[in-house]
Amino acid sequence: MSLFKELTKGIIRENPTFVLMLGMCPTLAVTNNAINGCSMGLATLFVLAGSNMVISLIRNVVPSKVRIPCYVVVIAAFVTVVDLLMQAYAPAAIYQALGIFIPLIVVNCIVLGRAEAFACKNGILASIADGIGMGLGFTLSLTVIGGIREFLSTGSLFEIKLIEGWTHSFMLMGQAPGGFILLGILLALINWNNQRKAKKAGRLWSPPGLDCRQCNLCDLGKN
Amino acid sequence: MSREKVKIFPLVLSTGLISCVATALMAWVFLITEKPIAAAQQMKNTAALSQVLPAFDNQPTQEAATFGSVTFYAARKNGQITGFAGETVTTKGYAGEVSILAGLKPDGTITTVLVTKQSETPGLGTVVCERIRKKTLSGLLAGKKETGLPPNRILDQFNGMKTEAGQTPWAVKKDGGNLDAVTGATITSRAVGGAVFAIAETFARNREQLLKEKNQ
Repeated sequence: MSLFKELTKGIIRENPTFVLMLGMCPTLAVTNNAINGCSMGLATLFVLAGSNMVISLIRNVVPSKVRIPCYVVVIAAFVTVVDLLMQAYAPAAIYQALGIFIPLIVVNCIVLGRAEAFACKNGILASIADGIGMGLGFTLSLTVIGGIREFLSTGSLFEIKLIEGWTHSFMLMGQAPGGFILLGILLALINWNNQRKAKKAGRLWSPPGLDCRQCNLCDLGKN
Repeated sequence: MSREKVKIFPLVLSTGLISCVATALMAWVFLITEKPIAAAQQMKNTAALSQVLPAFDNQPTQEAATFGSVTFYAARKNGQITGFAGETVTTKGYAGEVSILAGLKPDGTITTVLVTKQSETPGLGTVVCERIRKKTLSGLLAGKKETGLPPNRILDQFNGMKTEAGQTPWAVKKDGGNLDAVTGATITSRAVGGAVFAIAETFARNREQLLKEKNQ
């Protein structure tokens, strides 16, 4: 049961993009259409599950002083494997679109974040479940963002035109600024919904991630 | 003040061991994917070539000849030359390099133009470059299947065009020429037009030599 929970928590409750706010770079960079978002998510899923498994295996062997370099080596190895496999077997168009972002999975905060926060403290099965769950959540959010951007910019989804005769494309959404704007809108909607629910239940609620109320760098958010 | 004594040996040992295992894994995957990657690359090259060339039974990539910035690949069927494909790269696009592949008849008439690599602005420059099959929902539901090369208004206008050595380059309408351009993507249209002209003109200049060489 708890294993199942580890698997599902990453999908909605602790969604890496919308709740944990990790891995924003690929989230913004590759989501100009649904297929790219989905494939990037799946590549990250594979790396996450693999690195979580290995890190959980070696967690008692690696001295804590050198654990981060060791984790990075493990993650980099998995990313290289994914890169080579995609070059060999993925459709050329997908590899061309994702090519430069695949090596960047190494520095994706989700992967190292899950290694530090979960895999180095939990058993191997739980870690694999956590990796797969987080990967699924990441895939889901990337596909959603990519789908919305693709639909708004070209009127199609997964390269299938939904609205025939759509000629005026909303090109902003297909480009980088559109990604920022859409991500901001989605996060605002999710936070608004969570806040509303918390108010109804009479609970206190603070938004995820770092915001003005938790940061002391400047006086901007202080009342 | 006493400093905690750090035993360096286990740290080095574990890091080194993990690195060795990881390197071995990567080497193994590299070895098993080496051939499929080469095959995929080869397929990508010939896939583009077979889209611009008439049916061929040789290996055009092995019959390449380079003149200046343009590389020509000869296609033959039963030993006879059926056409050439000219490939060039221009840096006059809006962002980065634009690679053009054009199919030519033995007399120099352009048959098909393809953009094989580009990183132009999505929605503007890419309209000039991309040949994308537009799938529609109703078309999919009706089970409609289209084959052949997807059309592109800008790239298709070169079909049937021809030039001689030393002619003035073709220009887009904005520059007083005849070529259509995509509004908002004049730079990309200009770059594509210039590159296609470079291929056609280089072919015209070296046609005799190419045919003689390849007909041996």
